[in-house]
Amino acid sequence: MPISASKRVKTLSVTRPIVYGNTAKKLGEIRPPNAPAEHTHIWTIFVRGPQNEDISYYIKKVVFKLHDTYPNATRTIEAPPFELTETGWGEFEINIKIYFIEEANEKMLSFYHHLRLHPYYNVSAEGPQKPNDEISSVFYDEIVFNEPNEQFFKTLMSTPGNLLPSNKTEACVFSKQLEQEEIDRVNLGIKQVDLEIEELKTKVNKQLKE
Amino acid sequence: MSSSDIFDVLNIQQKSKSHGNSASPPPTVSASTTSKAPKPQVTGMQRELYNLLGENQPPIVIQPASKFKDKPTTTTKPSPWTNAGFKANDHLNLHHWVKGSKELIGEEAKESSYSKFNIHLRIPSFEEEDYKSFMSINNNSNEESTENAVSPSKNDNDDWEYQEVDYLFQLCRKYDLRWFVIHDRYNYGKSRTLEELKEKFYHVCQCYFVTKSPNDPLLPSLDFPKEKEIERKKYLQRLLARSAAEIAEEEALIVESRKFEMAAKKTLNERESLLRLLDSPNSDQSVSQYLTSQGMSQLYGSLLSDKSRKRKHESTVPENPWMKQQQLFALQRQQLQQMQDKKQETQDTNQLKKTKRQKQEMQAAIKRKAETVYAEHLLEHFSPDERKSLGVMVHGEKLTPGVYLRSSKISAFKPALQSKVVAMLQELGLSATPAMPTYDVIQRHEELLKRITTLVDLKKHLDKLDAEKAITK
Repeated sequence: MPISASKRVKTLSVTRPIVYGNTAKKLGEIRPPNAPAEHTHIWTIFVRGPQNEDISYYIKKVVFKLHDTYPNATRTIEAPPFELTETGWGEFEINIKIYFIEEANEKMLSFYHHLRLHPYYNVSAEGPQKPNDEISSVFYDEIVFNEPNEQFFKTLMSTPGNLLPSNKTEACVFSKQLEQEEIDRVNLGIKQVDLEIEELKTKVNKQLKE
Repeated sequence: MSSSDIFDVLNIQQKSKSHGNSASPPPTVSASTTSKAPKPQVTGMQRELYNLLGENQPPIVIQPASKFKDKPTTTTKPSPWTNAGFKANDHLNLHHWVKGSKELIGEEAKESSYSKFNIHLRIPSFEEEDYKSFMSINNNSNEESTENAVSPSKNDNDDWEYQEVDYLFQLCRKYDLRWFVIHDRYNYGKSRTLEELKEKFYHVCQCYFVTKSPNDPLLPSLDFPKEKEIERKKYLQRLLARSAAEIAEEEALIVESRKFEMAAKKTLNERESLLRLLDSPNSDQSVSQYLTSQGMSQLYGSLLSDKSRKRKHESTVPENPWMKQQQLFALQRQQLQQMQDKKQETQDTNQLKKTKRQKQEMQAAIKRKAETVYAEHLLEHFSPDERKSLGVMVHGEKLTPGVYLRSSKISAFKPALQSKVVAMLQELGLSATPAMPTYDVIQRHEELLKRITTLVDLKKHLDKLDAEKAITK
């Protein structure tokens, strides 16, 4: 079969894991020189590989669309690391757009991340919170290239990009272990739901017989 | 008397004369009186108008107009009418106006032309001995036939004397069985109800005719069920005595009951669909049989036929159960055949039998299979572990090409259902979206979602059944 640049490899998909999210810290004594007075937090939003591996071989650039009140709200990061550090006082939705390299010939991927500056849990319940605690809100997802074209497929095949650590570590929570735990949890749920279904089925049958 | 006097009387002025009789006073006097008399109050323009009209105008224009039409001018002669007598009945002679001369009609009173409508019922009459004989015969036969079960109403009739029966029959004859009149005029010492009178009459008639012509086919029509008649009248009375509020309530109840009927029909339908849901093949069978192209086309075919069956079921026209059965057989046979074909790989003969659409589907499947083979060929020097680390997999399915986030492909439902599903997930201690949406996790998650929707559906049906039961109770 002839191999052309634009031809897609049918019935095949390539997966690349990514991690995106933000970290946030309260502003201490040391303030960035140009930070406005009302800003209370310094935060960083990022898109990276699960183990900080290089993802620039298939991602050309990442565009973060911040809240309109920021000067130059649309920030484009053209080289790794794809991250952006800013100061602010409030939480908002950040639109993340991932553009892929030219030869991929794919549309960009757009999704949202809720910038988190405050911890989830109740502060008083968890004991006194240290002012310098870093808050992070990180999500794991997988980019699926369904039927990539031949050339991009080759590029993707050149790097084993789907590797996950086998165990959970401080640096990277997303691992095969977590995946297995997740699967186990879902399986448990399925089992429970199945039980309930059986119970209901017998009930319904009983009702119908009456 | 001079002419001037006459003119004076007639109030006519004559200038020529006035010249001659200038000395005589009357014309001037008359002129002054005439000018004075008609217009004492007329002033201004109106007076001028009167002057223009001049004197001696007629007071009112009288037109000869009659209020009545012209007399009809008919040439025909009026026909003669005669006040002729006629016999109303045997005792009574009456007169009425009849067209025709006296000679034509004749002197003697004639039968009325309406007398032919004056028909009396032929009611049997009998002597006391006859009565006693046929009554006793009949009572005996009655007792013989129904030895123990002699109806009490018959026994109550024992107080009827022949004289009273005779009196009753006379009344019946007189009033032509107009029962209300008979009951009104009935005066034989005892007070009897209308039903009693009727019953006695019909009973006696029956006895009479049984002895006279026992084979008459009309005999059973002389039965008079007194109790039923009383009951019927009671019902009728109650029906007519209803107040407006009661009628309204009754109508409301009828509407309500109709609603119940409708609801019952609906629930019956739903129950049937539920039964079908319960009968549907369990989803925990492995999907591996559908992963091949053959399996896909088979699934497609079965889904198609399933849809058509459902549509047929929804129609209100009752269908022939035998037809249904036959269709089922046909479907089973088809499936069986497909299975065999799959085993034997006799694709060519199979394809000929398929419809055009299925053919296209088949071709697409074959193409996809070839592509899958090609994709497999590209990856043939990778081991499964290596494939996993590369994140590459051959799914062999027909999915839209392009890039997407794995988490965005988690199936979503209608808002109402979605909230229930999320609640269920929370109950199970799971989040709405998995923390690590890898391929395996999403597969399991989808499976879980499918089960949950089934569960929610079942719950809904159970609730409905409960409600239905509560209604029927």
